[in-house]
Amino acid sequence: MPLADAAPSPVASLPVLEARRLTREYGPVVAVRDVDVSLEGGEFLVIFGPNGAGKSSLLGMLGGAMRPTSGQVLIRGRPISFSDGAWRRRVGILSHQGFLYARLTAEENLRFYGRLFGLDDLDDRIAQRLARVGLTERAGVQTRHLSHGMRQRLSLARALLHDPEVVLLDEPYTGLDPSASGVLREVLAELRDGDRTVVMVTHNLREGLDSATRVAIQVAGRFAWQGSRGDVHDQSFERHYHAVVEGRA
Amino acid sequence: MTTYLGQLRAIVWKDLLVELRSRERLTAMGAFAVLAGVLFAFSIDTTTTRPQDVAAGLIWMTLVFGGLLGVGRTFHLEAQDAAFQGILTSPAPKDVVFLGKTLANFALLYVISLLVLFVFALFFGLELGPNVGWVVFVLGLGSLGFVALGTLFAAVSAGTTMGETLLPILIFPLLVPMVIYGVGATGRLIAGRPFSEIEGNVRMLGAFAVAALAVGAVLFRYVVED
Repeated sequence: MPLADAAPSPVASLPVLEARRLTREYGPVVAVRDVDVSLEGGEFLVIFGPNGAGKSSLLGMLGGAMRPTSGQVLIRGRPISFSDGAWRRRVGILSHQGFLYARLTAEENLRFYGRLFGLDDLDDRIAQRLARVGLTERAGVQTRHLSHGMRQRLSLARALLHDPEVVLLDEPYTGLDPSASGVLREVLAELRDGDRTVVMVTHNLREGLDSATRVAIQVAGRFAWQGSRGDVHDQSFERHYHAVVEGRA
Repeated sequence: MTTYLGQLRAIVWKDLLVELRSRERLTAMGAFAVLAGVLFAFSIDTTTTRPQDVAAGLIWMTLVFGGLLGVGRTFHLEAQDAAFQGILTSPAPKDVVFLGKTLANFALLYVISLLVLFVFALFFGLELGPNVGWVVFVLGLGSLGFVALGTLFAAVSAGTTMGETLLPILIFPLLVPMVIYGVGATGRLIAGRPFSEIEGNVRMLGAFAVAALAVGAVLFRYVVED
């Protein structure tokens, strides 16, 4: 049968990442309240919001690092399961904390995570990722001797080592020097232009807008505003952001 | 299965490599083992007590307290840079994580148990003769049960505000059977009794180790998951 006549796969037509009425409570505090998101491949959602808005909690639930109090996260239409971690192979997480072992070298850290993800051809993957983030010459250096920016770049290589379909980024620009920011910006642009689904939480309006195809502003646990990148005007966005945060828009 | 074993090997490899480079826990446990052996040797009045008669109990107490120094810090290095979060968000099943960390702890404690035996043999004048192999085996079996419980409860205590201070309170009551059977078996072996006399104790130590591993593997995920 010609390829063009084949019916589209039902799985391929489902959103890559979906959150349904996602809520997270910490005792009496509701950090995330009834958030609905549906993202296709190639979409890059940037979530802005003030401190305490629940952005990191939302990202934690999307990445399976924490359980929602109620609601569901689905990847390609299947609810994520905490007892079966196979879906985790499709998700890469970059936090402002690197998930790196200080006493292991850059190469050993990647090898360790590669084995946890059950990856083959690790030597090639590691060499390629280290080259991409400009750390080939630091491969044999223990990460405690790397600068913050280098560790963050290595962490980016770790998050992308297994070619995840969904990439979650929590404040990735925190503490980066201009050079490290440049590498991160390039890699994020590659992700956006590829078919990955990316969710990034950041305070940095300019960096966030540079990468986004969709934008949301989270306030007090809810998405107080969301729209496509085309709805946002760079010059007026900061004013709009403050208006939304202060409840004037 | 290949992936499971690969993940298990990765965690053991990582834990041992990190420990060999930092020597944080080995140094603390080793120093404690030597100092305890020396102090116990001087604290016994040899005119009223034969050192061989009390050595087994003191060996096991040294092992338990020294082991606690190391096992209690199992998750300390994991906390830096939120590294453990990286493991938890990987596809590795939580029982693999538990077993990997337990095996790495076992390797460290087994080295220390050999050091404890050497120190006590030296300062207490123990003549183990042909039973030395069985003593090493019994200490190994006890160490396995201890680290299985210790790793599980170290994870529990790491998640509390009391941290490591909570660990002895949680774990000591559960170690009573292991200490009873371990001391009984070691004491008889030191006294030169044949293995047939301690077979029951060894079985109980083995059962304790298997039960601790199984319970730990099942419960670990409830302890470490959010």
